[in-house]
Amino acid sequence: MQRNRPPSPQTINVLLALAADPARWRYGYDLVTEVNLKSGSLYPILVRLADRDLLETSWEPGVGSRPPRHLYRLTGAGREFVAALTAARQDRTAPHPRRRLSEA
Amino acid sequence: MPFFIVFLLTPMCVAIALYRRNPRRFLDGPTEDAPLRLLRWSTGLLSARRAEWGQAMLGELAHLDGRRRRLRFALGCAGAALIMPPWGRAAAGHWAAIAITAGSLAMYARLTVHYGLGTGGWIALAVLGIICAGYLLGVSALLRRPGVALPGLSGGVFATVVGLSMSGFTAVDQVSFIPSPWQQWVMVIAVPAAIGAAGTLWRRDPAAGRRVARLAALSAGLLRLLYATVAVAVLGAGGPPDAAGGYTIRGTVSERLGNNIVDLAVGTLLIAMVGWAAAALAGYLVRRPPAPAPAQEM
Repeated sequence: MQRNRPPSPQTINVLLALAADPARWRYGYDLVTEVNLKSGSLYPILVRLADRDLLETSWEPGVGSRPPRHLYRLTGAGREFVAALTAARQDRTAPHPRRRLSEA
Repeated sequence: MPFFIVFLLTPMCVAIALYRRNPRRFLDGPTEDAPLRLLRWSTGLLSARRAEWGQAMLGELAHLDGRRRRLRFALGCAGAALIMPPWGRAAAGHWAAIAITAGSLAMYARLTVHYGLGTGGWIALAVLGIICAGYLLGVSALLRRPGVALPGLSGGVFATVVGLSMSGFTAVDQVSFIPSPWQQWVMVIAVPAAIGAAGTLWRRDPAAGRRVARLAALSAGLLRLLYATVAVAVLGAGGPPDAAGGYTIRGTVSERLGNNIVDLAVGTLLIAMVGWAAAALAGYLVRRPPAPAPAQEM
């Protein structure tokens, strides 16, 4: 059974980086530098996102002696997830009006 | 005598085997850089379900320049590959090894505090911790190889039980055991050779046999360390007097704990080397092509 734990701050950063230009395919090392994560942290995050169908993967054909390169972008479900996540974060950070005792 | 044979002959046999496997690489050194070799090895540990991710890491590394950048990327990916699930049944063996090691280290720390072994005791514990971390890393890598976990861990338990039945199971036996020549032959040659050969025959593959021998060596080392540390905890400075350093309570306990670390390193090395050689020999004998039939005279 797959557990759907709330995403970690690192996972959220990866999701936001991918959501910045959701149509564009990204390389793993680009995400490493953009999000400032170590490769050992990034790949487990990408694996979990792909397992949850939030991430789409593809292969860029190899050139010359270089092997094919893996590409990543958000799926439709991934974009919806990021939108919901962003909305929830905005909702949490928005100032809540305090009710005065006289209004009660 | 068996110790002499193993430490003198086995490195020579290993060198000959490596030369026979790939003479050019043996003489010229590896053709690939260290990050690529590290990543290739670690992604080989991934389960078949995650193999694509290993290829992704290798593909990404191929597009990186600069030794430092490549090494940092490969080290991170290797760490991820080592812990990435699914582990399947190997997870049980891994957690058992962690529990055994943690038990030994915790008991060692308690003895260090209880007997006031001081800075030297803590340094020895730190060294033991580093050795055990290396053992656990090796165990976790070997457990993930297909078909190695069960024979490897069984081999480790077998070597431990044979060793204990030779020395005796009590705490006094653990600190006072001096093996006779025939016991040395059994523990140093026969048992490790049986484990390595059985590993090869089990999988019909000498590479698997060598991994089985290594896993058996590491797991037996960790098991023996736990048993020997428990023995020191039970005896303290009691039991038979030590030949060296046993004039004070602290000295006796410190000496016994130090002996355990030496036994851990030497015992593991012996099982791994002899098992390695036996696995390779068994593979050679099993694979040896049949002699050609004599030509019939017309």
